[in-house]
Amino acid sequence: MKIGLKKSGLGSLILAAIALVGCLKQVTRSPSQNAFKQEESPVTITLSGWQSNPNEKQLLKQVIQAFEAKNPDINVKYEVVNSEYMDVIKTRLIGDVAPDVFYLDALEAPLLMQYNVLEPLDSYITPAFNLADFESSMLNAFKHNGKLYGLPKDFSTLALIYNKKTFAAVGITQPPQTWDQLIAVSKKLTIDQNNDQKTDQYGFGLAPELARQVFVLKAFGGQLMGQNAYATFADTKSLKGLQLVIDQYRRDRTSAQPTDVGATSGSEMLGQGKVAMTIEGTWAIPYFKETFPELDFATAEVPTINGKSGTMAFTVAYVMNRKTKHKKAAWKLIAYLTGAEGMNAWAKQGLALPTRRSVLARLGYNQSPLYAPFAKGAKYATIWQAGKNLPTVRMNFNNQFISALLGEQTLPQAMKKAQDTANREIYLGN
Amino acid sequence: MSALTKDRWRNRKAGDSLAGYLFMAPTILIAGVFLILPIAYAIALAFQKVQLLGDVSYQFTGLKNFVRIAQDDRVWIALKNTASYVAIVVPIQTMLALTLALILNSQIKGRSWFRVAFFLPTVTSSAVLTLIFMWIYNSNGLLNGVLSFLHLPTYNWLGDPNVALKGIMIMNIWSTAPLFMVIYLAALQDIPETLYEAATLDGASRWEKFLHITIPFLKPVTFFVIVMGIIGTFQLFDQSYIFSAGSGGPNDSTLTIVLLIYQYAFKNLDMGYALALTLMLAAILMTSTIIQRTLFKEERLD
Repeated sequence: MKIGLKKSGLGSLILAAIALVGCLKQVTRSPSQNAFKQEESPVTITLSGWQSNPNEKQLLKQVIQAFEAKNPDINVKYEVVNSEYMDVIKTRLIGDVAPDVFYLDALEAPLLMQYNVLEPLDSYITPAFNLADFESSMLNAFKHNGKLYGLPKDFSTLALIYNKKTFAAVGITQPPQTWDQLIAVSKKLTIDQNNDQKTDQYGFGLAPELARQVFVLKAFGGQLMGQNAYATFADTKSLKGLQLVIDQYRRDRTSAQPTDVGATSGSEMLGQGKVAMTIEGTWAIPYFKETFPELDFATAEVPTINGKSGTMAFTVAYVMNRKTKHKKAAWKLIAYLTGAEGMNAWAKQGLALPTRRSVLARLGYNQSPLYAPFAKGAKYATIWQAGKNLPTVRMNFNNQFISALLGEQTLPQAMKKAQDTANREIYLGN
Repeated sequence: MSALTKDRWRNRKAGDSLAGYLFMAPTILIAGVFLILPIAYAIALAFQKVQLLGDVSYQFTGLKNFVRIAQDDRVWIALKNTASYVAIVVPIQTMLALTLALILNSQIKGRSWFRVAFFLPTVTSSAVLTLIFMWIYNSNGLLNGVLSFLHLPTYNWLGDPNVALKGIMIMNIWSTAPLFMVIYLAALQDIPETLYEAATLDGASRWEKFLHITIPFLKPVTFFVIVMGIIGTFQLFDQSYIFSAGSGGPNDSTLTIVLLIYQYAFKNLDMGYALALTLMLAAILMTSTIIQRTLFKEERLD
């Protein structure tokens, strides 16, 4: 009897809980009934992205205001997600609260395209939009099974950036053209001013990350990933390229990584005068102008390795959430932001290069001495993208590459270990 | 007659228990929804392959996730890092907390000022602390400046795998010891003064009084401090996350179990495997607490 009542007590509790949940459901359901109405009155669409500095946010806000002025029936809510952008976006996609339009890095695109959370854009694109104007390699980064899921807003390649004063001080007149030259001038540029056995200025500032090294491992014919989506970067061809980086750091001691000199990036090392050269992206140019206005720097194409030109390209697209309620409005926004006018306004700041060839030419980036080396790189650059397993591969590569760089193990050992671990994780994760 | 009373009793009891449950209903509901349900859900998902992005799907995989733990090198690295972290941080922070408490419990001048100063690191947000320490640990930062001034070897605290975790250990000891110090301090003030007086009459030295009165009296508190310390250190996440920008590097040296769980759950979106790892962590924590309970077993008087 007692037990029976206890049970019924619990039973009533459960009933109450169910009733409560039922109420909640009803409450949540009501807004969707209004969705139909909302379509007529001004619609609000959310746009999410990250910002690398406050100016970028200001500029985008201006571009958005121009869009809103032209489309009075659309309000744009711009949200900046600054840290762990992709984790936030993925979690919001899972929870069905993702923004209608958002930035997507080429690196993360394969995963989202495969899982069908993005709206294919092909059906929206009109001839007037002039898709052919886009740099085709950047467009390809957002294609999956023949469908286009994103329109690249801008891109950046890597180029050699050097401090002109340090070059003049040791009598070098020209930036290095080949990797051998780079290693030779690095020796001249590595200086210990007060002879305390501590280098005050290194020749070359190094970024020991896969994102910056893929073109190096490809220089002798190596491949990051094989056909079957497994990593193949530990073969002898790849190692030949990477060994150049390791040798310069360990044997010559003419290069430094940021933490060696108390900096956080290659640009910061160059700006602080800790290195004479570094390989960085277009974003470094506005950064230097703002943070190190006295720095007298110039840019050149990345020196050739094994006679081959190579660099990396990073691109970010605007994509549309498949579950957005206002697809037309979302497309209008994307079309404006990646259209000739919107892109022109956006790319003026010089943080990255416009993906439309016409805009690139109009803004004169292919002529400007500082930007031309970056623009030229677009032709031969390796796009930082390699299927949905790249994050796993990158993490294992970075870990072991640093270990080889610090001399804890040889490069072949380290890369073998990284490749095996990455491939095991890929296999088990499938 | 007697049967009737019994029945009444029963009814009354039943009514009481119903009222009791009604009173507890809010707690049961909240605990159920936010505590028990998630735990049950987590246990259930640990045996599945879960795909959350796009079309949600669950696929029962049996023990596959747990077999994978055994084969995953990074799990063992994370366990090793976490274990060495626990083994170094917990004893040092406990002893430091006790020492600080003893100092503050003695009649020194400016006690309350010291109390505030010692307690400050604990109230500071750990994210802010980590950023400040990263500045201190910078190759050209404060710590290396002091070390080279004293002609001691300097380190690349952030970039060298051999010292990166030690940097986090120092930081954590410095920031958590004061919290436990306050707990010890409260316990110290609970020890009756008469015991010390009696011991003094018996001719006990300061050290003997500490060893035979203070330490035994603090035993339950020490148990609490160590259990909380172990749980806290096993759950190390934010410091190593900020230190390594989420990678657990350099060379996996700051990879901890919780950071690994985070990586699998939110970077790889592999919820099933991440939850299997979480269950493993829970099992480790429970076992270690049970072991400590048997070690610290209270003496029974009867």
